[in-house]
Amino acid sequence: MHPPLSLIWFFLTAGTSIGLFTFTYFMEFLTLFGKNTAMPEKAVLVSVVLSLVLVGLGAVGASFHLGHKLRAWKAIKRFHTSWLSREAVFSGAYGFTLLLFGLAYYFKASPFLMHFFGIITFILGWLSAFSTAMIYASNRFVLEWNTSLTVLYYLNMYLMLGSSAFLALTYHYRPEFITTYLFLTFLFLSLGLAFRLAFNIRQFLISRPTINEALNLPHNRPIRVLDTGTTTNNYCTTEFYYKKGKDLLGSMLPVAYILTFVVPLFLVLYAWITGNHNYTFFALTFLSILIGSGIERWCFFVEGNHVQNLFYGLYPQEGYRLRKGYMERKQTRISLYG
Amino acid sequence: MPQYALVIDLNTCVGCHACATNCKEWNTQASFGPLSDFDPYGREPQGVWYNRIMSYEVGEFPNTQVFHLPKSCLHCQDAPCVPVCPTGASYKREQDGIVLVNYDDCIGCKLCSWSCPYGCREFDEADKVMKKCTLCIDRIYDESLPPEHRKPACVLTCPARARFFGDIEDPNSEVYKVIKERNGFVLFPDMGTNPANHYLPRTETKVHVDEHLLKHDNPLFLEVLRRHHVGG
Ligand code: SF4
Ligand code: SF4
Ligand code: SF4
Repeated sequence: MHPPLSLIWFFLTAGTSIGLFTFTYFMEFLTLFGKNTAMPEKAVLVSVVLSLVLVGLGAVGASFHLGHKLRAWKAIKRFHTSWLSREAVFSGAYGFTLLLFGLAYYFKASPFLMHFFGIITFILGWLSAFSTAMIYASNRFVLEWNTSLTVLYYLNMYLMLGSSAFLALTYHYRPEFITTYLFLTFLFLSLGLAFRLAFNIRQFLISRPTINEALNLPHNRPIRVLDTGTTTNNYCTTEFYYKKGKDLLGSMLPVAYILTFVVPLFLVLYAWITGNHNYTFFALTFLSILIGSGIERWCFFVEGNHVQNLFYGLYPQEGYRLRKGYMERKQTRISLYG
Repeated sequence: MPQYALVIDLNTCVGCHACATNCKEWNTQASFGPLSDFDPYGREPQGVWYNRIMSYEVGEFPNTQVFHLPKSCLHCQDAPCVPVCPTGASYKREQDGIVLVNYDDCIGCKLCSWSCPYGCREFDEADKVMKKCTLCIDRIYDESLPPEHRKPACVLTCPARARFFGDIEDPNSEVYKVIKERNGFVLFPDMGTNPANHYLPRTETKVHVDEHLLKHDNPLFLEVLRRHHVGG
């Protein structure tokens, strides 16, 4: 699939926004149980303003994916069937209640109102994240995406971005929580690594449809695409198959792994074990996760193979060959997702 | 419920692209047009087509066969492209099962095309909306046309008469009968889409000429023998 930069931008901005708010509000929430975890007022405001700006920038960026930005409001109409519609509703509502939470906090409204909006924002944020992930996970024509791993990784990515951003915040405002957030960041990074590895390994195990299935012809006949009706590319060959990306994937995927997991894990573990709480490390951790996740999302798109590519002979091959009158299913051959 | 559809005879389709060309010609100037083109006379011409013809070769050399597959929206009965549309711009009509896009509501998010396993939706970069075969809805109901012209443009133009149009749910229709009699099949049956458009499979016709020729009372019998055995 062709990676749309506007959507990658949305993942990163919305992800940081929702992740950061999650931990900011979580600390407030714990005070309800008598814990002394609340961040200083300034920290909460900085975080909320940042989250608001980010989700706003995300929405503006994502609108560049649309052909008609001004009609975007119409996307609320199919809430009952479309995950994209749900995403639009939930992320819009998330931005709105986040603003209300910020106002309630700033004007020191009653704690009830503050927590009320906090909890609602929290729920809406995660519903929006879940809906975004489901747009991809529910697409049964891109088998690489069509798995719960897509959702798990995606939600965890928000936690990775959020906890590492919050780590930098604790450094300035509540240093006693640094170790907690070092641990949480470590935890989410490890989970993310596990989910991503599983996502990649699964791609080698998927049983893929063949051109014979697409054309509904018996499996014992080799089929070759002779001509696709045009001498140049068309929408179907550019949107669903990104040649340049496929060529680059082999080098981009390791970079994504290194920046998203290896570097941050190293930095976090180093700070944790040595107790050397250096702000530069924390800032670097977040930046590395952010840039790495951007590349990781790019890979996620390029790794996706749409079944319509079968008609164009651009789908990873699982061939059949004739042997003594019956066919034998050949192993999936994918040259690193080629 | 009626379900209008195309049935395409792969046995007679010669892959001439007339249906695709006439589809483009009709639709670019009719209600659902234009079908924008980019760099049409240049090195990299690109454009929107509702119908594209693919050619495939089946079998292993020397026992190969070539066939052509005209592919336009199959007006799936369980169209997966419809529920994913966030605006309701993509919809399936109750009265005839035709899947359409309302250009005034489409926000150009492309999600519907991601949800079509057949690659039958194309985004128009000029109009910024999703476009697809309309089953020539602006012809089949047009009462200003003579009744025999109230058919899709691609069906009318096909020189090999490989295309049929009608209601596949109506047992009296031509399409219902050909699907039944000639084992009409659909593309990608296990994708759960239940396509309405059907294809008629290729059949091999074997005429046993030799038996006739080799009868003793055939006046050409001697001629045949000489050619066969003397290699004349
Ligand atoms: S062929 Fe594709 S665009 Fe047409 S109805 Fe089926 S899924 Fe939708
Ligand atoms: S591109 Fe248009 S028709 Fe397709 S899903 Fe988006 S809004 Fe609906
Ligand atoms: S039915 Fe009409 S719109 Fe569809 S492929 Fe044929 S000519 Fe084109």
